[in-house]
Amino acid sequence: MEQAELKARVKELIVRQLKLEVAPDSIKDSAPLFGESADGLGLDSIDALELVLGVEKEFGIKVQDEEVGVTAFASVDALCNFIQSKAA
Amino acid sequence: MAIEPLPHTYPFRFVDRTVEVTGPASGRVRAVVTAGQRLPAYALPGTLCEMLAQAVLLIEGGDADLGRSGFLTGISDFQIERLPDPGDILTIDVRLAGRLGSTVKFEGEIRDDAGQKVAAGALTVKKGTASPESAP
Repeated sequence: MEQAELKARVKELIVRQLKLEVAPDSIKDSAPLFGESADGLGLDSIDALELVLGVEKEFGIKVQDEEVGVTAFASVDALCNFIQSKAA
Repeated sequence: MAIEPLPHTYPFRFVDRTVEVTGPASGRVRAVVTAGQRLPAYALPGTLCEMLAQAVLLIEGGDADLGRSGFLTGISDFQIERLPDPGDILTIDVRLAGRLGSTVKFEGEIRDDAGQKVAAGALTVKKGTASPESAP
C-alpha cells in the first residue's frame, strides 16, 4: 500500500473510530494526536484504546503494550510507520 | 459463585451472582429485578448501564477495593430494547473488547429469561489509584 493511501486510511479511521467532527484531510501528518498542542487533536487515554481497537479491526494489528502505543500513536506519520513495520 | 466482594449494597446493587467466567474478563452474570428497582422510566436506562458496569466489575475480579479504585469513563453504543419489570430475571453477558494499560473496554448484553434482548452496549473503565477512603 502506498504511503499516501495508508495515511488517508489512517485519518479516516481516526475520524470514524473517535466520531470526530473534523474532515480527515484536516489532520496534519506530523501533528501530535495526544496532549495539548495547537495543531494536534488533543486525544486522551480513552481515545487511545478506541484507536487501538480500530487499528486491530482495520489492519489486524494488536497493540497491548501501553508504551508501544504511546510511540506508535504519537502522530499519523508514526502510526503509518508502525503499521508498515508490522505488515512487513 | 458468591459475589460478596462488590462494594455496592442494596438498593444500588443490581447484580446477584456470577453464573460463569468464560475467559479473561469475560463471562455471564445473573440479576433479578426487584420491586425496589421500580424506578421511574427515565432513570432505568442509567440503572441498566450501572447493571452492566457491576457485571464487568464482578467478571474483572470482584474486589471491593478494586471496585472503588476503578472509574467508569465511557458508555458507547448503548441501546435499550425494553425496560425490565420487577420480577424479571436478567442474564448479563460481558466480553472484554480491548485493553491498553489501565484502560479497559467491555461489551455487554442484557437478556431476559425468555432470551429477549433488553439492552446492549459498551463500557470503558479506567483503573485508578484512589483509596477506598477517598471514594464517595
